[in-house]
Amino acid sequence: MTIGISTYLIYLAVSIALTIWVARTLHKNGRVFLVDVFHGNEALADSVNHLLVVGFYLINFGYVSLALKLGYVITTAEQSIEALSVKVGLVLLVLGGMHFFNLLIFSRMRRRANTRHQPPIGPDAFTTVQQQEA
Amino acid sequence: MLSLTVLYDPECGLCRRAHEWLAEQSKIIELNYMPCASEEARKRYPQLNHDLTKKDLTVVGDNGAVYFGPKAWLMVLWALTRYRDWSYRLATPELLPTTKRVVSLISQNRYQIGRVAGLNR
Repeated sequence: MTIGISTYLIYLAVSIALTIWVARTLHKNGRVFLVDVFHGNEALADSVNHLLVVGFYLINFGYVSLALKLGYVITTAEQSIEALSVKVGLVLLVLGGMHFFNLLIFSRMRRRANTRHQPPIGPDAFTTVQQQEA
Repeated sequence: MLSLTVLYDPECGLCRRAHEWLAEQSKIIELNYMPCASEEARKRYPQLNHDLTKKDLTVVGDNGAVYFGPKAWLMVLWALTRYRDWSYRLATPELLPTTKRVVSLISQNRYQIGRVAGLNR
């Protein structure tokens, strides 16, 4: 195995492991938010949670795959480590960006779900309501 | 708040058409309709200024909160499944003045608008 191929394999292993770890964290801890957003409807929350994680995997693996190519020949271990640090660093930044984007979506959904029970404006006055005889 | 009572002007064609449209919309909270300044309305809201309700649309919540004019329109939107988001958008500080102006314009000219649109009986 040439040093170039081992660099690629290490890159793939590290990137895939990181993606799976972040996705699992998101899946595990995002559930509480979603259950709250959907007012305790756990089936719906689990479904949306799963769909979000699928999208997360698709985007991240897509990026990892596209960013695989190095474009130059590696001959020494030093070059390999440098190439890995750049590639894995980029994957980490993309994962971080995606992660915060997901958090933003969660908190937006939560805020919306909580504020939508309040009327858009305050009343002009209050009056007594005579209950109708049944 | 679980229901809103809409005090509408029974003599205005535009209001009747709006009423028909409202009846078809899916709602988050219940809407009841009462002709403004009617016996029924006076009985239910003995302390309300009923002469004022003839001037512009008035909406009363089941908790007794009174919304008059543009606020009443926003509350009606808020009651509808499809337009709740719009009620918040139109009530933001940036849009509220425009909302008020447009709604007042329509309200004050409701008989003329109804006549031009052929809605008056």
